[in-house]
Amino acid sequence: MKLRAITLENVRRFTSAVRIEGLADGVNVLCEPNEHGKSTLFDALQAVFFKPHRSQDGDVKRLRPHAGGAPEVTVEVETSEGRFTIAKRWLSRPMATVHQGGRLVAQADAAEDWIARQVGGGDGGPSGLVWVRQGLTGLDGAGKKEQETGLAARRDLMSSVTGEVEAMTGGRRMDAALARCRGELGAYATGTGKPRANGPWAVALADVERLTAERETLARTAEDLHAALKGRMGLRRDLSELDTPEAAEARRKRVEVASAAFEVARRHAEAAEAAAQKVDTARAAVASAQARLDRAQADLDERRLADEAAKASAEAARVTAEAQKAAQGALEAAQGALVKAEAEQKDKAEVLRRVRVAQRAREGAERRAELVARIAQAEAARAAVEAAEAAAMVGPDAAMLRRLDELAARRDAARAMRDAAAAQVVVRYREGAGGRVLRDGAAVEDGVALPVTAAVTLDLEGIGRMELRPGAGAADHAPDAAERALAEALDKAEAASLDAAREAGARRVQAERDRAEAGALFKALAPEGIARLRELLAAIPEAMEDADLPDPESAEAAMRAAEVALDTARVRREMAAKAESDARSANAKAGAEAAAATGRLTRAEAALERTGGAEALEDLSNALTRAVTALTADEARQAETNRTAPDLAGAEAALKRAQSVAQAAQSDINRMNTELATLTERISRSSGEAVEERLAETVEKLAAAEAHLERIEHEVAVLQRLEAALESARGAARDRYFEPVARELAPLLHLLWPDAALTWGQDTLLPTSLARDGQDEAIDLLSGGTQEQIALLVRLAFARMLAADGRHAPVILDDALVFTDDDRIEVMFNALHRQAGDLQIIVLTCRQRAFRELGGQRLRLETVPA
Amino acid sequence: MIRFIHASDLHLGRRFANIPADETGVRGRLMEARHGAIGRIAQAARDHGAAHVLLAGDTFDTPTPSAGVVRQALAAMGEDQGVTWWLLPGNHDNLREAEVLWETLSREAPANVQSLTAAAPVAMGAAVLLPCPVAWRSSGEDATRAMPGMESAEGAVRIGLAHGGVTDFTDSGAHIPPDRDRTARLDYLALGDWHGRMAVGARVHYPGSPEQDRFRHNRRGGCLAVTVAGSGAVPDVAEVETGQFLWSEADLPLLPGQDAGAALAALLPQTGRRDVLVRLRATGRLGLAERSALMAAAARVAPDFALFDLRDGDLATAVEVADLDAIDRAGALRLAAEELQADGSKVATDALARLYAFVTEDAP
Repeated sequence: MKLRAITLENVRRFTSAVRIEGLADGVNVLCEPNEHGKSTLFDALQAVFFKPHRSQDGDVKRLRPHAGGAPEVTVEVETSEGRFTIAKRWLSRPMATVHQGGRLVAQADAAEDWIARQVGGGDGGPSGLVWVRQGLTGLDGAGKKEQETGLAARRDLMSSVTGEVEAMTGGRRMDAALARCRGELGAYATGTGKPRANGPWAVALADVERLTAERETLARTAEDLHAALKGRMGLRRDLSELDTPEAAEARRKRVEVASAAFEVARRHAEAAEAAAQKVDTARAAVASAQARLDRAQADLDERRLADEAAKASAEAARVTAEAQKAAQGALEAAQGALVKAEAEQKDKAEVLRRVRVAQRAREGAERRAELVARIAQAEAARAAVEAAEAAAMVGPDAAMLRRLDELAARRDAARAMRDAAAAQVVVRYREGAGGRVLRDGAAVEDGVALPVTAAVTLDLEGIGRMELRPGAGAADHAPDAAERALAEALDKAEAASLDAAREAGARRVQAERDRAEAGALFKALAPEGIARLRELLAAIPEAMEDADLPDPESAEAAMRAAEVALDTARVRREMAAKAESDARSANAKAGAEAAAATGRLTRAEAALERTGGAEALEDLSNALTRAVTALTADEARQAETNRTAPDLAGAEAALKRAQSVAQAAQSDINRMNTELATLTERISRSSGEAVEERLAETVEKLAAAEAHLERIEHEVAVLQRLEAALESARGAARDRYFEPVARELAPLLHLLWPDAALTWGQDTLLPTSLARDGQDEAIDLLSGGTQEQIALLVRLAFARMLAADGRHAPVILDDALVFTDDDRIEVMFNALHRQAGDLQIIVLTCRQRAFRELGGQRLRLETVPA
Repeated sequence: MIRFIHASDLHLGRRFANIPADETGVRGRLMEARHGAIGRIAQAARDHGAAHVLLAGDTFDTPTPSAGVVRQALAAMGEDQGVTWWLLPGNHDNLREAEVLWETLSREAPANVQSLTAAAPVAMGAAVLLPCPVAWRSSGEDATRAMPGMESAEGAVRIGLAHGGVTDFTDSGAHIPPDRDRTARLDYLALGDWHGRMAVGARVHYPGSPEQDRFRHNRRGGCLAVTVAGSGAVPDVAEVETGQFLWSEADLPLLPGQDAGAALAALLPQTGRRDVLVRLRATGRLGLAERSALMAAAARVAPDFALFDLRDGDLATAVEVADLDAIDRAGALRLAAEELQADGSKVATDALARLYAFVTEDAP
């Protein structure tokens, strides 16, 4: 369908009829300032195609002029079946008609059906998809209904392109299945797959958790009850054994008997203790007498031993003093030898140093001579280079020589051509003729042709003179011009002749060769320059003369011998020092031991004097004998007492045991009675709470809750699996069918951004991001200008696909490029024309200057004469 | 001659928390039915001219039943003073763990309710009752080991009363010798613990629970009316149905192409469904459509029953091309269906069945 003419009457500001004619294929432009009715035209067209004539909704009412009246729109369209006129009137006496060539094709609802078929059916249809309202730069309309309408239209468009997309993507059946799956899953789980709060899954989980905790609590309570019952049984059994009158009397009797036995044992123990004290006193007296006797004997022994030790240590001190003196002498001798060896080694080292310096000086002399010669050669080479460079500056260079040769060749050619064109004189002498024809005094040779390029005078011997003059028309100035050019070139080359120039050129070439050779020689001799050679020369030391020095080998040998001698002297010095130190220590030790022995002897003599000496030994021995006799008598008495003593500890232990048994029994009875009361109270309370009954119920409830949870988790898994399978299958199908859109859009996008690509939303069937320069950018984060450009390009792509399907929907753009700058708008114009082809694109704009360059068919709103 | 009713395993106080709570209050009805069994047993005693009811253990479900359960049970037993109830501790209400319970019974029971807490002969009319109470739950011993040593007067009818398994079918761990009637010179051995009816021999019987509480025995509960003409006489044992609820369990084998709804209906009773609990285990294979039809049929009949539990864990799904075609012949839905079919896991198969249901239920 294509629009050919539009007439509005009673539509907003157009109370009188206005009309646009001449709508052509390709790009049509209605360029008018604001408030001239472009948007009114757009809304009127939308109303014709998408608002039933009986509609009274807000969109329709907004078409009515302030002064009132019934909005009426007439559109002439062209379809594959011919040209039709669609007329609609709303609000007052509403009507809809379709005529073809004055013949009524349809009216009222039939007319609405006819219109719907042209726009693709449904609300909006494909035309709604490709029409762009003023200021609508986004890709998904403002309202929910508009979004849904757009989505339906896009799906329908995709279907029209592929013929099968609805079937392949599952279409509305897929949407319904997916929606139901998600709906049922949503009752259980959130979008992230977690249990939804207060949903059946969360409740089942909470039930299991609560019942598990409840079961644990009840099980513990039941176990406590069982333990209490068992404990009470044991307590009762133990109490029945303890808490009887017979048992109590037996315990009392055992305490009484044990007490009497203990008293007897205690009194006997006191007598035994007194006897023991007497024995202890006698033993102390014996020990004292024995000690005094032993001390006197020891003092005597010590005096003898101290005397022997003093003598031995004095002898040892004398021997060590002599040894120390000998070691001192040996140390001083070794020290002297060491000093002498050090001096000898120092002398030999100095001689060796001087020998090495002299050796290096001798080795440097050869290198110096080589460097001096090399410097001289390098300086000669440098002079040759400079001379050759000067010579290479004289005479013509190769280009100049080529130029001279070329000019000479031209001159010779000019001359040859002149001679060939000129009259010629040929003299043929008769055989035997004596006369000759002379030219400039020389005989002209027989048969040789003489060109007459200038006046020639021939002397005919014997005849006279013949003058030959070329005609005026035979004059040829080319040889002269070539000659002059050659002469000028020779002057420039500062050469008298061509041969002279060639010789000078040869000399110049030779000079250049000489310069190269001399330069190469200089480079070889002094690659780093003469200055560097001189630096190397200066670094070599001057030779020294020292006639007294030995040869290096002798000096080295003398030096090694001196070092060996020095090491030996050092070792001997160390050994002598060690021996002297040892001897000194031994002497000091022997002196100290002698002093100690002397002190010991003094102390022994003093002690012996205090104890009375050897005379006191007999008195002390008698006193010891008396003390031993007294002790023997006391020990006999104590043994008799102990032999008849009862077991006091045993008696005491038996008493304590009997008492503790009686006390423990009473304590146990009291404790058990208390515990029994406590257990009985606990048992009574737990039994009254029917804990086992509740536990059994909770166990069953938990089993049922776990089974319920298992079923729910299986249900969730099933729904999640189904959702994943449906999404995956739909995604794969959609990817396959987005390909035509992407293919159509790619060249348009590349007009703006080479290598750009769009990513499509699975649910919206709209672009979600733009990939360019290696980056993915969300559509809604792009600038307003970029968004509107993409929106327009996408619609152009859709329109092209519609056209390819045989359904031409006019693309109507109502100030659709409000944010686009001048550079981009040029590209967008190209895109519009590129896509126009057999499309019809109608551009409504107020940007007169910017859209002047758009081209296309210009439209005007014309008032229809009444 | 002596006549008595032999019953066991009333498990009073069981709350049936494993049964899903519903708006019909099935849990309460099951509990009430257990309590009502006391009255029905008493009625059986009157119907058969029996003056005694022997309860062979597990009268109470737990060692510590709530006071209401105990009091109401004693009150129900006390309503007919012409019938004497003899209560033996079983493994659930054993002497150790239920000590308080038995103390309470001794203290508060009406005169016609006797607690048998000691393994000692008791005169029961013209007979001698030889009770063997369970001391504790897992004693691992034969509860009747003392029975042969129990003395009785010459010519007296000896009736043994015990709780435990002749074979190891309980958690008590006890094993009663099947020839205990001969070794203890019994005229009748009244046993409890097995919830189903079982005659071990002419003189040894399990009556089963008077009101069933699980899917196992596929018949209503009952008790036994026993008549012993005299010492040495073979007892006359008559079964008396006392159960209100039928716990019915069955397999539902299915094959592709089978009318699953009809197969399901054939397994279900036509009357009295309100007092029937059903558990069906579907096995075999069904197509997606057939499976969907089975579930729909089950959903329709489920409210008729006290409990309806169709378990399909062992029912495999046979996905046919026609099933996939019903989802879609091509396109993304078909792709998704084929991917789920190829997966083959339980989750994927159920997801495929769900997709089938979504698409076919929403189809115009």
